[in-house]
Amino acid sequence: MKMTLPRLLFWVAVVVIALVTLFPFYWAARTALTFPRAVYTHPTAFLPPELTIGNYQRVLGLVDAETSVRLGGSGQKINFFIFLRNSIIVSTLIAVGQVFFSAAAAYAFARLRFPLRRQIFGVYLSALMVPGIVLLIPNFVLIKSLGWLNTYQGIAAPAFLMSPFAVFFLRQFFLGMNRELEEAALVEGAGRLRIFFQIAIPLSMTAISTLAIITFIYSWNDYLWPLLIGKNEGVRMLTVALGVFKQQGAQNAPDWAGLMAGTMLAVVPVLVLFLAFGKRVINSIGFTGFR
Amino acid sequence: MSRGKWFLIVCAALLACSMALWAAPITVRYTLWDANQLPAYQKVADNFMAKNPNIKIEITQMGWGDYWNDLQTSMVAGTASDVFTDHLAKYPEFAAKGQLLDIEPMVKADKVDTKVYLTGLADLWTRDGKRFGLPKDWDTIAVVYNKDMAAKAGITDVEMNSMTWNPRDGGTFETVLRKFAQDKNGNNGLSSKFDPKNVVRWGIAMDYSNFGAYGQQFWSTFAASTGWKFTDGMYARKYYYDDSRFVQTIQYLADLSRKKGLMTPYEAISAANIGATALFTSQKTGLILDGSWMIGFYGGNTDFKVGFARLPQGPIGRRSMFNGLADSIYIRTQHPKEAWQWVKYLGSAEAQNVVGGYGAVFPAIQSGVQAANEAYKAKSLDVTAFTAQALEKNGTFLFPITDNASEINSIMQQAEDSIFLGQATAADALKAANAKVNATFNK
Amino acid sequence: MAEPSEKAKRPRSTARLQESGTALLFIIPSLLGFMVFFAIPAVRGLYISFTDWNLLTPPKPVGLANYVALFQDPDFWNALKVTTFYVLWNIPIQTVLAVIVALVMQAASRSTLLKGVVLLPWLMPNVVVAMLWMWILDPTLGLINVAVRALGGPLIPFLSSANMALPTIAGINIWRYLGYTALLVFAGLQTIPTEVNEAARIDGADDQQRFWHITLPLLRPVLAFVIVTSVLGSFQVFDTVAVTTKGGPINVTKVFNFMIYQQAFERFRMGYSTAVSMVLFLILIGVGLIQMRLLKAGEAES
Repeated sequence: MKMTLPRLLFWVAVVVIALVTLFPFYWAARTALTFPRAVYTHPTAFLPPELTIGNYQRVLGLVDAETSVRLGGSGQKINFFIFLRNSIIVSTLIAVGQVFFSAAAAYAFARLRFPLRRQIFGVYLSALMVPGIVLLIPNFVLIKSLGWLNTYQGIAAPAFLMSPFAVFFLRQFFLGMNRELEEAALVEGAGRLRIFFQIAIPLSMTAISTLAIITFIYSWNDYLWPLLIGKNEGVRMLTVALGVFKQQGAQNAPDWAGLMAGTMLAVVPVLVLFLAFGKRVINSIGFTGFR
Repeated sequence: MSRGKWFLIVCAALLACSMALWAAPITVRYTLWDANQLPAYQKVADNFMAKNPNIKIEITQMGWGDYWNDLQTSMVAGTASDVFTDHLAKYPEFAAKGQLLDIEPMVKADKVDTKVYLTGLADLWTRDGKRFGLPKDWDTIAVVYNKDMAAKAGITDVEMNSMTWNPRDGGTFETVLRKFAQDKNGNNGLSSKFDPKNVVRWGIAMDYSNFGAYGQQFWSTFAASTGWKFTDGMYARKYYYDDSRFVQTIQYLADLSRKKGLMTPYEAISAANIGATALFTSQKTGLILDGSWMIGFYGGNTDFKVGFARLPQGPIGRRSMFNGLADSIYIRTQHPKEAWQWVKYLGSAEAQNVVGGYGAVFPAIQSGVQAANEAYKAKSLDVTAFTAQALEKNGTFLFPITDNASEINSIMQQAEDSIFLGQATAADALKAANAKVNATFNK
Repeated sequence: MAEPSEKAKRPRSTARLQESGTALLFIIPSLLGFMVFFAIPAVRGLYISFTDWNLLTPPKPVGLANYVALFQDPDFWNALKVTTFYVLWNIPIQTVLAVIVALVMQAASRSTLLKGVVLLPWLMPNVVVAMLWMWILDPTLGLINVAVRALGGPLIPFLSSANMALPTIAGINIWRYLGYTALLVFAGLQTIPTEVNEAARIDGADDQQRFWHITLPLLRPVLAFVIVTSVLGSFQVFDTVAVTTKGGPINVTKVFNFMIYQQAFERFRMGYSTAVSMVLFLILIGVGLIQMRLLKAGEAES
C-alpha cells in the first residue's frame, strides 16, 4: 500500500479523530479508578495513581457511610441501582409510547387520505420550532395540577404520545415504503388497522427500532425536565442523580473520582444498547437527516 | 408480528411494577450541604428514629454550589424537602415569598426554651413575631495555614498569630504572604526578582465566586476590620458597598492578586469551584481563610500539618463574620407535625451534643460546644483561633439580614467578578453596584 | 391516481368517510399529545407572559408590561449578544469539521468502527460531557493546564476567563455533536451519484476541483438542513452552562435559556421569564426563515 500524501493525511485524520474523541473517556475511566485524594495530588498521572475500586463501590451503594468516608467520599448514601432503574423505566416508557403512537399518526399521514391532512401535519412540524423552554413552565404547571409530580408518568407524559420529529421521520419512511403488499391486502378486504399492524410495522421495523433507540437515548440524557419533575429518589433519573452527586464532595469540591465512576456506570447501558444496535443506528441516522 | 404488541406488554408491565413499588411510610426529607457533617446528622437521625419509630428521616446532602439553586427550583416545583438547613442570609427571602412555616406557635405550644442558645442566636431567626428556625450551630473564620510550609519559609507560629493588616500596605500580613509565595524561578515574594506574572505558589487563595455579597471567608474580615459595616441593622434597606473603606479593601485585594501576585488570580479558581480548599491541600498556597465548619476536614485530609491562626488585626482590631445556621420547615410539607418533631429534636441539647461530639461544627447550645471542643482536642486540633474570636468582645459581626438577597448577591458577584478580573476599578464598579443594590429596595 | 368514474363515486365517498374515520383513530393519540403538551402549553405560556406571577399568589394581568420591561433589561440584551456569539463560535467550526470528518469516513467507508467511535460523545448526557471537560480543563489541577505549565506555558483559564469561557463552552458542544453532525453529512455524501464524480474524474478534474465544484454544491440541501437544525439547537444551549459556568464570569455565558431559567427559578418571575421565552421563540422563527432563504434550502444544484 503506497503511502501517498492523501493516504497519510487520511491516517493522521483518523488518529486525531479517534484520540480527541476517546481520550476524555479514558481520562474519566482513569479518574474513576483513582483514590479521591490522589486525584488532586497527582493530577497528571497517566495511569491511576492510587488504584482503587472504592469509587465504584461507593457509587453503587455497596458500602456503608463510614466506609464511604474512609474511601474518600462524603458518606452520602447513593443508590445507583435505583436511579438506573428509574432511567430505564422512564426511557423505555417514552421510547415505546412515543414511537408507537407516532408511527400510527405517521402511517395515517402517509397512507390515508382525510380532510386537513396536510394542515395538521404542517402544524405538527411547526411544533419543532418551538423552543423547549417555552413549553417547560406551562407543562410543569399542568403536570403539577394533575398531581403527577415525582411520578414516572409525570416525567414521561409530554413525550409519551408523540413527538413532531418522530412523526416526521416515520412519515418519510412510510412514504418511501413499497405499497404492493398493502395494496394486495386491501384488495383482499383487510382493514387498515390490520394492515398497519401486520404489514406496515414489520416492514418498517428498521426505521422504527432505530427511532426507538434514538428516542431512548434522548430520554436517557434529558436533564432539565426530569430535574423539575422527578426530584424524589424514588423516581430520580440518572442524569439528575449525577448532577446532584457532582456536589457531594468535601465542601465545594466535587467528588471527581466518584463522579467519574458514576459517569462510567451511567454510560454503560447506553453503550450496551449501542454495541447491540449500533450499526443499525449509524446507518439509519442518514434518514433523520433530510428528504 | 407481535413485536409492536410485545413492546406494549413490556411497557405496561414496567408501569405496573413501578406503581407497585410506591408504598411509603411517613418520611421526612431533610437536606443539608456540608458533607463533613453528614455522618453526625445521620447519627442524630438514627437516634431520633429509634425514639420515633413511625417517622423515617431521609437525609440528602447536596453541596453548597448547587444547594440554593436546587432548593429554589424545588420550591417552584412544590417539591422541596420537608426540612432543610437554612442560612441567615437566605431565609428572609424565603420567608417573604411565603415558603417557610412559622414555628412560633409550635415553639410556644411545646414550651421550647429559646434561651439555651448562645446569646442572640435565636432572635436572628425571627421577624415580626414569626419564627423560622431554631439555631443549631455557629461559626467563625480564622486563618488556616500549612505548618510545614511555614516552617520552611521561616514563619513562626507567633508571627502567624500576630499579623497586622491595613488597606494601604497590607501590614505584616502581606509580609507573611510574601514569605510563602514563590515564582517560577524559585524567588520568593520578598525578593526583588519576584515575578508576579509567573507565580507557582501563592501566599493565599480565595474563592471568588462564592456568595459575592458577603465575602464570608474572603474579604469580610478585612473590610470589617476597618470599621466598615454592611448596613445599619437587621432588615435595613440601605447598603454601604460604596463606602471608601470598603472600596479600599477590595482594591487592595484585587491588587494583591493582579499586581503583586500574592493571591491566586481569578482565573485560577475554576468554574468547578475546585476552589481555595483544593489549592490549599495540593500545596499551591500557604494559607487560606476558612470557617470553623472545615476544622474536621483540614484535620484529616492533608499530606502536611495544618495550623489554625488568629485573623490579622486590622485598623480597629480583629473581626470575623459570625454565622449561625438553623433548620427551616417548608411551607408545603405534607407532614408538618413530623417535620416539627424533627426540627425540635435538632434544636435540642441531645442532638447538638452528638453533633458537637463528631467535631464537625460548633453547636448553638453551650453543652454542644463543650462536646465539640473535646472532640477537637481528641484529634489534637487546636481550635482556639476560632473560639477565641467568638469570645472576644466585638470580635464578630453578622451576615447582613435583609430582603432581596438573591438579587443583591447577583449584582455584587458581577461587580466583584469584573474587579477581580481586572476589568474595572473597585471605586467605579462598587459605586455602580451599590446604587443598583439600594435600588432593589425601591421596587 | 386515476379519476374515479361516476359509477364508482358513491361507494367511494363512503369509503372515504371510512378512511377518514380510520385515520382519526390513528391520529387521535398523537393529536391528544400535541394539544395537551404542545399547543395548549404554548397558548398558556402566552397568557402567562401577560401576567405577573410568582406561583404563590394568583397571576396578576399586566398587559404588555413584561415585554416592555424586557426590552429595557440589560440582561435580555446581554443574553441576545451572548447567545448569538455562542452560535457563531459553535456552528461554523462544527460544520466545517463535520464535513472533514464525513470525508474521512467516506474514505474509510467499509469500517463502521470509525463511525461508532465518532458517535460516542453524542451518547453521553450533556451533564456528563460538561463535567468531564470541566475537570480536564481545570485551571490549576486539570490535565491540560498541568501539561502546558510543565512545558513552560501560561495558565489557560478556559471556563474561568471572561474571554475564553464562551468559546470553551462552544468547543465542548462541538466535541459532543461533531460525530452526529458528521454522520448526517456522510449520509448526504452517500446520495451523490458516483457517476457524476467519475465523469468529472475522467474529464481530468482533480480531487480538489471535484470537491469544490461537484461534491459541495450537491451537498447543499443536506448542509442546509444540518446548519438550520444545528443553529436552532445551538440557540437553546442550557445543560452545559448550567453545569459549568452558571452564566459567569460576569455574565459572559448567560445564554437565553439560562437567563430564562434564572428568572423563573431564582427570582420566581414566571410572567417575565415566559415573556422572554416567547421573544426567543420569535427570534428562532426569524433565524430559521432567514437561514432557509439564504441557504436556499429547498434547491439542489444540478
